[in-house]
Amino acid sequence: MSANPAPPAQEGTAATPPPPTDTPRDETPAGALAFILRNQSFTVIVVALLGALALGAILIRYQGVSPWYAYQTIFHEALFTSGGLARTLTKTSPLILTGLAVVLPLRVGLFNIGGQGQFVLAAAAAGWAGYATRGSGFLALIIGLVVGLLVGAMWASIAALLKTTRGVHEVITTIMLNNIALGIIWWMVTPGGPAAYKNTSQIPMTGPIDDAARMPTIAGLPVAFLVSVALALVCGWMLKKTTLGFQFDTVGKNKFAAGYAGIGISKVILLAMAFAGALAGLAGAMEVHGVMHHFEPAIGGTLGFDGITIALLARSNPVWTIPAAFLVGILRTGAAGLQFATGIAPEIVDLLLAITLLLVSIPVLGKWIFRSRADKVEAAATSWGN
Amino acid sequence: MKASRYLAAGAATVLALGLTACGGSTGSSSSAGGSSGGAAGAPTDDSKCADAEVFCIGLVTDTGKVDDKSFNQAAHEGAKKAAEELKGFYKYVETQDAKDYAANMAQFTNKKYDAVVTVGFLMTDATIEAAKASPDTKFIGVDQFYDPAKVTVKNATGIQYPEDQAGYAAGYLAGLMTKTNKIGQVLGLEIPPVQKFAKGYEAGAKASNPGISVATVYHPAGDNAFNDPTWGAAEAQKQLGQGADIIFGAGGNTGNGALQEVAKADGAGESKFCIGVDTDQWNTVPAAQKCLITSATKELSQSVTDTLKTAQKGDFEGLTTMGSAGLAPFHDFDSKIPADVKTKVEKVVADLKSGSLKTGVTL
Repeated sequence: MSANPAPPAQEGTAATPPPPTDTPRDETPAGALAFILRNQSFTVIVVALLGALALGAILIRYQGVSPWYAYQTIFHEALFTSGGLARTLTKTSPLILTGLAVVLPLRVGLFNIGGQGQFVLAAAAAGWAGYATRGSGFLALIIGLVVGLLVGAMWASIAALLKTTRGVHEVITTIMLNNIALGIIWWMVTPGGPAAYKNTSQIPMTGPIDDAARMPTIAGLPVAFLVSVALALVCGWMLKKTTLGFQFDTVGKNKFAAGYAGIGISKVILLAMAFAGALAGLAGAMEVHGVMHHFEPAIGGTLGFDGITIALLARSNPVWTIPAAFLVGILRTGAAGLQFATGIAPEIVDLLLAITLLLVSIPVLGKWIFRSRADKVEAAATSWGN
Repeated sequence: MKASRYLAAGAATVLALGLTACGGSTGSSSSAGGSSGGAAGAPTDDSKCADAEVFCIGLVTDTGKVDDKSFNQAAHEGAKKAAEELKGFYKYVETQDAKDYAANMAQFTNKKYDAVVTVGFLMTDATIEAAKASPDTKFIGVDQFYDPAKVTVKNATGIQYPEDQAGYAAGYLAGLMTKTNKIGQVLGLEIPPVQKFAKGYEAGAKASNPGISVATVYHPAGDNAFNDPTWGAAEAQKQLGQGADIIFGAGGNTGNGALQEVAKADGAGESKFCIGVDTDQWNTVPAAQKCLITSATKELSQSVTDTLKTAQKGDFEGLTTMGSAGLAPFHDFDSKIPADVKTKVEKVVADLKSGSLKTGVTL
């Protein structure tokens, strides 16, 4: 992640003020080109993905494997092998939520890098709560989920409070809170810690939750996936149709104007971060109750950070996090099968995602594609830092 | 997370092999060949794994890489060697997400591999689940312990190492070598294998030098407990400052940091010494050579190869297979260590191996 992305939109407008005589010059046909021009941010993403795949293809070819075969293997492994799709959806669910955990703050102009910490801390708390309430059947699931949600929200709110009361930049605080969260979870589950489960293998973990407290699968679809999709839709609706959503966007676009309009900026910031933390926390709790059935520190993987990629791929649109997360889910599921079939290290997927992210977040691509229309490139993806 | 990192940087042979044979991360041993259908991109031939005469070995890491100069690499080299000696087929998958253990093992069992090696104690439970699901495949868990009271499968064995013996021998040597009667140890995460090294070291030191004091410090838990050389160096400096003249660094890169700090201190190799861990660190941490009198090792590669051979012949001995542990050569310090010290240490190592001497370490 680049630490200091230049604000591209402002730059763009400053460099090329919208020429009023632009329209007549542009006598190119409607149809496909017009569609591309109307959907610039979408086009940028497609070009970025294709660019990443092309660069990845070169690297795969370099290792003596046919890129076509490699990509085919990834998708085949993730979608068409037995149980493949279920695993992909299982991986997609938390990614949607960690993606949303970045999208919501992004809409108010905050960059939440703390998804990882919010996720793991909430997962640890949910696992602990789920184990502590064993014997209470289904209730333990509810308790686990609620605890996860609240812990995530609480953890993110710390960064929001520091922002609103002391003006501390959320990028700094969320990164630092990630490390603090890691310290806490390891302390919790390392042998001797308060939540540590005494097992013969001495793996740092919390105790296993009851079968009754596990999140089920309905007709092959993990419930966690359904919940995640529903929440993405709710977030989309909230931003588009509700007063609160309007306030989010207004603060994000210009918080001074929002202040003059009587919007409580502190409240909006706090709510956005708390929602984000709650979503990441719920993802953690659902991973515990739906996938691992206990907590161990490795549960986090790179989910929180993948959320950043997903949010930028989705151009800060909550609904678009669903396909973006699905894509990342496919790549992550297929990676192991790729190594089995071709010997290519699964890190190729990290590489593909990193290249995509780079291409999506730098304004250059958009400007290059829409040379004369740089002013039209949307700023959503790079609106943090104000 | 990468808990197996407490096995410090890998064995000499492993490193040499790794550089020549492994050649980066291009994957399975067969991938470089690209023999059949190179254009199709599937340079593997595990289609005959279902046949009884072809012995196919798979390996799954616990979110580590097979070229980590440590634990995973040692197991990887051991498995590769077994495949070569048995004229079998070998392939590995590096886990990226702890939630994929089962899926990654299933890759191998679906193709009817004969044996699957799982590396690291974090995979203990997942390995037993897989063994239950695939009774025709043999599972070998490196550094894993299966509780006989709970686990009844016959197709799995966990390789355990007597770390306490290696630690004991190292401590015994340190007890004889110290001039200040103070020694120290800088350790990774406080988990059983590390604790066994540490308690063995302390017991050994007290056995050879009853008046000795041993400073012990574990890394405060964190996901970098085995990869925090800065912390290791700072702790080593602290212990040196308190008068310790021999420091045992046991905790992956964290321990390596301690070793390198001792190597930089005044009198390193003359009045201050360090002891490495897991593999012969003379080869893996050249920066520590100035003070490194020996390393407390476990013979990981060899044990994987041997256990795979057992698996090919028939049944495992039991749920637990004992690997061996001992001391690495003294290298340049061979001439600086008094002969009577060497004789005593050699006797201790032999007695530990034969079982006539117990370390008395319990967790």
